[in-house]
Amino acid sequence: MDLKVDKIKLGNGINLNLIYTDKFKSNLLSYYIVRPLNREDVTKNALLPLVLKRGNQKLNTTLEVEQKLDELYGSNLSLTVNKRGEKHVIRFTLEWADGSYFNDDSYNLKTIDLLNDIVFNPYLENDSFSKEYVRQEKENLKDRIEGKINSKRSYAVDRCIEEMCKSEAFSLYSFGYVEDLPSIDEKNLYEHYKNVINNSPIEIIYVGKYDEKLISHIKESNKMNRQNIIYLSREKIDYDIEEVNVVRERLDVNQGKLVLGYRTGIPFEENLYNGLLIASDILGGGPNSKLFRHVREENSLAYYIGSMVIKYKSILLIDGGIEFENYDKTTKIINEQIEKMRNGDFSDDDIEISKKAIKASTESIKDSTYLISEFFFSQQLSNDFRSLEEVLNDIDNVNREDIIEASRHIALDTIYFMSK
Amino acid sequence: MNTIVNSRIDEKVLYEKLDSGLKIFFMPKPGFSKKYAVFSTNYGSIDNNFIPIGEEENLVVPEGIAHFLEHKLFEEEDEALFEKFSRLGASVNAFTNFNQTSYLFSTTDNFYESLELLVKFVQSPYLTDENVEKEKGIISQEIKMYDDDPGWRVFFNCLRSMYVNHPIRIDIAGTVESINTITKELLYKAYNTFYNPSNMVLFIIGDLSFEKIIEVVKSSEKKFEKKEENIKRIYTDEPKEINEKFIEEKMVTSTPLFYIGFKDSDLNLMGKDAVKKDLITNIILDLLFSPSSLFYNELYNEGLITSNFGAYFTGKRTYGHSLVIGESHKPKIVYEKVLNLIDKRGEEVLKLEDFNRIKNKNLGNFLMGLNSIEFIANNFVDLYFDDFIILDYLDVMEEIQYNDILKRFKNHFTRGNVVLSIINPI
Repeated sequence: MDLKVDKIKLGNGINLNLIYTDKFKSNLLSYYIVRPLNREDVTKNALLPLVLKRGNQKLNTTLEVEQKLDELYGSNLSLTVNKRGEKHVIRFTLEWADGSYFNDDSYNLKTIDLLNDIVFNPYLENDSFSKEYVRQEKENLKDRIEGKINSKRSYAVDRCIEEMCKSEAFSLYSFGYVEDLPSIDEKNLYEHYKNVINNSPIEIIYVGKYDEKLISHIKESNKMNRQNIIYLSREKIDYDIEEVNVVRERLDVNQGKLVLGYRTGIPFEENLYNGLLIASDILGGGPNSKLFRHVREENSLAYYIGSMVIKYKSILLIDGGIEFENYDKTTKIINEQIEKMRNGDFSDDDIEISKKAIKASTESIKDSTYLISEFFFSQQLSNDFRSLEEVLNDIDNVNREDIIEASRHIALDTIYFMSK
Repeated sequence: MNTIVNSRIDEKVLYEKLDSGLKIFFMPKPGFSKKYAVFSTNYGSIDNNFIPIGEEENLVVPEGIAHFLEHKLFEEEDEALFEKFSRLGASVNAFTNFNQTSYLFSTTDNFYESLELLVKFVQSPYLTDENVEKEKGIISQEIKMYDDDPGWRVFFNCLRSMYVNHPIRIDIAGTVESINTITKELLYKAYNTFYNPSNMVLFIIGDLSFEKIIEVVKSSEKKFEKKEENIKRIYTDEPKEINEKFIEEKMVTSTPLFYIGFKDSDLNLMGKDAVKKDLITNIILDLLFSPSSLFYNELYNEGLITSNFGAYFTGKRTYGHSLVIGESHKPKIVYEKVLNLIDKRGEEVLKLEDFNRIKNKNLGNFLMGLNSIEFIANNFVDLYFDDFIILDYLDVMEEIQYNDILKRFKNHFTRGNVVLSIINPI
């Protein structure tokens, strides 16, 4: 089964994407609002979903919203921000068990209205957000930002990117900065919200069962008449590396966290990018990868070690958890394995295995309403309208030379190491 | 072959018991790309004292041995197992928890070949002194990773303050010291006792044929000489009372983390009774602490808790506890407020209309869970070892009466069985 999207333009810069499937017991609706990632707005963007979740014009408080969600058979609401390259995406998602299980025709429409109210009809006082809600959510956001230290692994990855991309917007932390909070209030945040609603590209994605009635309902409730929509530029990915930047951070921890950041300069729009995906998988994609075999299985240096590609910035990252004193030993093995990739020292079997792994994870997208929604949004964001089958085909067509060529583009930029 | 059908949720499970004693369950999922198999033994970190098969005396094994064994079963004499699965396009993994060790793979292709591999590798351990030694370095790093995780530490400290003797106090992976005393011989003893087919279950889900599955398993399973239906596990008596009221530790973290634990004394239930108690307790916790509760909203508005606040009950035959979890700058005040809440009369804090609302929510959540192959597989096995089939879940849910909630609230949530665990920033 191939997934098909029916794309309907609802207005300037706002699209409805319909993906029909009757495979699931639930339906899912997402709003993706896309902003440029910049220092000025990052904290305000992060604060918006928190404040919007507090209440809308029909349901004024969290208590009412949450009780409504329970009544709607535990509809699952999730609001968040995340960065995709140098774009900051505010996402609102609601998933609900299909109305056919409850003999309630109007139920699907009620859930759709609820999400629409959360996005477009926030609770207001004196033509601005609630002072109290904004104050409380600033406190919560502060805890959230400070809480990034709690997971040492993801903290180390974020720190490596921060150091590596110092002069780029990509270095920004998705949830913003504590020092920005004092200057944000209910008035300027509401002004920002109006801006966001008035000039951002918006993708609405529906996955599940639908009929004419439901579609016209979504269309009617999301019609917008907007003039100027902001233009979002493509990230810069070419950088000269003068020398490798080594950052060491001391914390009272039991395990060292090693993160190596590489530039590749291979844009995802080019065919060679598929070669990079496979190179990264052979190097550190799974338990069959070179890093797993050499760092973990042969030398018992780590429990986790792997690599990944950051699409919009063409960065490759390797991260592992090791003993403090094994820094030199581990980085040496990593360098050797990358050298092997550059020299074509990998088997045809390795290539086939990686292609299969990528194929399996791509096909699994079809088994999750959320992943389907993310897939079609990602297509929109990258102007890539290949079907899943075409994506798989392009992976299949990668040959040994492409992988070697891609590996030769991998250049070490920054090493981050957390230790005691 | 037997079939269990639940037409209301439009799902069914097929079932077969092989001569070896192994039970196979299969849930068809037409239209799904992913296929998933999990091969589990009813053997987890709490089974650390037992009579090895063929012996008379009990044996207390080092902490973390079930998990160590899980790692070692991936060892093969010839080619690395990961490579074999990868070549088929399948992704293999395993986990150990308090009660079970599970080996699983997911794939979109070559399912039956992968199934053969799974059955064969779990049933053919290859342990040498050398490869046992090698694993100690890897598992030490896994233990140290958890040692740096404040969320994990606050949880285990809570268990240790609730339980006096019960092995649930023990970290699943053990300690760096304990795993260093593990030997090949001990691993084989544990293996031979607990990896007997009659102590195991194989669950498969996806767009597949059950006839073919049975054929593959029959031709790849090992023939065991001794069928052990009755494994002797030894549990030291656990008092009803808690171990210590309060436990605190300092770590690299931002906001203090807390766990409030209520130790259960209504134990030794299996099957439907166990599931019913589980559901009743979780409904109470939802009524008291979920984002749609008054308590949550009051504390949230006062800035005492963040949205990282929640509660759940978990239990098995020999233990059980309700946990109220969150982060707060004033965890002791949250604790006091929780105690004040549970001091009240059930009728006052648990309203009938709220009870009905939470039942709606549970119904929808269960239906949505059935979208996920992983959710079904993991819960199927977990409930199976409690002697319960997941398809009957909704029926038990609907049997629950408001009175059940009031009764359980009174007995389980008291000042006598509660503990507080806190991790403070350094």
